[in-house]
Amino acid sequence: MNLKKYLTFTRAGIIEALQFRLSFVVMVAGNLLYLIVVYFLWKAIYASSGTDIVNGMTFTDTLIYLVLATALFNFMEMYTVWEMGRNIQSGKIVLDLLKPMEYRNLLFWSYSGGFVTQFLLTFLPTFIAVSIVTHGAIHLGINILYFIISVVMAIVINYNIDFLVGTVCLYTESIWGINIMKQVVVLLLSGATVPIAFFPDTLKTVVYWLPFQSIYNAPLSILLDAEAEPKAVFTTLGIQLVWCIVMTVLSKAFWKTSLRQITVNGG
Amino acid sequence: MAAIIEIQNVTKEFKTLNRHEGLKGSLKDLFSRDYKIVRAVDNVSMSIEQGEIVGYLGPNGAGKSTTIKMMTGVLEPTSGEILVGGNAPYKNRSKNAQEIGVVFGQRTQLWWALPLIESFRLLKDIYQIPDKDYNEMLELYKSLVDIEPLLHKPVRQMSLGQRTLSDILAAFLHNPKIVFLDEPTIGLDVSMKAKIRTLIHELNRQKNTTVILTTHDMGDVDALCRRIVIIDKGKMLYDNDIEHLKGFFGSYRTLKIRVDGDMNAEAEVIKTEVPDFKVSSDDEWISILVDEDKSKVLDVLGLLQKSHKIRDMQLEEISTEDVIKKIYEEGVQ
Repeated sequence: MNLKKYLTFTRAGIIEALQFRLSFVVMVAGNLLYLIVVYFLWKAIYASSGTDIVNGMTFTDTLIYLVLATALFNFMEMYTVWEMGRNIQSGKIVLDLLKPMEYRNLLFWSYSGGFVTQFLLTFLPTFIAVSIVTHGAIHLGINILYFIISVVMAIVINYNIDFLVGTVCLYTESIWGINIMKQVVVLLLSGATVPIAFFPDTLKTVVYWLPFQSIYNAPLSILLDAEAEPKAVFTTLGIQLVWCIVMTVLSKAFWKTSLRQITVNGG
Repeated sequence: MAAIIEIQNVTKEFKTLNRHEGLKGSLKDLFSRDYKIVRAVDNVSMSIEQGEIVGYLGPNGAGKSTTIKMMTGVLEPTSGEILVGGNAPYKNRSKNAQEIGVVFGQRTQLWWALPLIESFRLLKDIYQIPDKDYNEMLELYKSLVDIEPLLHKPVRQMSLGQRTLSDILAAFLHNPKIVFLDEPTIGLDVSMKAKIRTLIHELNRQKNTTVILTTHDMGDVDALCRRIVIIDKGKMLYDNDIEHLKGFFGSYRTLKIRVDGDMNAEAEVIKTEVPDFKVSSDDEWISILVDEDKSKVLDVLGLLQKSHKIRDMQLEEISTEDVIKKIYEEGVQ
């Protein structure tokens, strides 16, 4: 594998992202608004519960979790489904298929530049701000390293789920409904909107066996749970790794058969 | 010379759902298994050599794009065999991709938000073009077109003509053996069309690139193609030199005259006088399509002069456009 072939996409992605200065401002402002809503919502929830600790999490814990989940979402969300659907509808996908590179890789690396810029421009500032505001509520140690490993795997899992759903567009030729459904499912079951600790027990068990919690819940719990035993951390990472492999194989296989279907039946 | 593209008895069939009309019909379609087979390309064979420019013509929906998609490897033929550079393109799309370049009229493969030079750099890395070849190609481009102002302009700010030009340059960048151009001059002004034709011609000449050109603009065909292939309803109608095509329907010329009096009434009279030939008229001219194998244009003119007062006349050679139109409408006998 020639890495340069792929890193050139990262480079272009960074330049591309930096072309749109205004969109950053709008995005940051939008997130701020969302976080204000989250703040008051959870403040009300804690006030009505009458106790300081709900489901083992203090108000500060919950807030840190959700702020970081939002930041993580901003840099991990790739709109792959949207992009694929649009390319399929417009027929531009033909041009991408005619590059001497697998479409899965081409699409992934096209986004990689976005990861880098989003990470530096939204996640990192948020993370630093949260650490300062909460006076060191986030433990800074070896967990940061585990967190980074976890995030990389989360990106891979997330991308493969997206790609899997995007492939469905080859058959349906419509995007909107599929995309919305995927987003709702992922955001809810991954613990990006509500911490999984708040889920009822049955749902918790179900979620535990699904790949989604590996996307947001896994990295965040590794980052925030300072007293976690190494064994627990490695179990989480192990589960992520398994999902990485399973989702990659699945999405690859589904894409391959679908593409074959298309080349035989036309599209 | 060996053929770079070899197509033998290729047929491509699509399975499409029989759609029903109206709300009820649409609901029915959701569960329908009522498919029909559409034959988009029907038993087509051709062989194209390295360095040729082939005009691939046909009315809308004739099967041109389908054939091209099969040659690029996006579609797999239902039956028959396609070899591009000795390989079956659909079996090894990535390898085939290295050898071909494509421009699909309306769509661009360039990076929308980036200056053109960045798109070129990306393509350089994707196709793994050596520095030397890449620089040589850029030098060649600079000698052919005024590319400098385009290089640093984001693609989204370009005019359609500039973008098409850039897309063509991008398709040739990795020096492919074959370039497929699907309606490259669509929607462009006269001077840009001329520029693009010269560019394609020069690149073909200097790099010996095979060019497969589909177009509806006969100007493109006249300027670029020595050989044309015509396809309609999936069937191949014609595959030969362009000169041969003109003689194909006998030696036709169009005689245009302007006469005194009501043109339409005069045209009706002329129709009876020269029953062998097709006569048509508009407000300005009466046109007579003369088959010179039957009688000379001058004889026709002489005949008409006896009964009409001719004020003005023009003689037109039959254009490629007319011939193609005739083939589309009537087929090849």
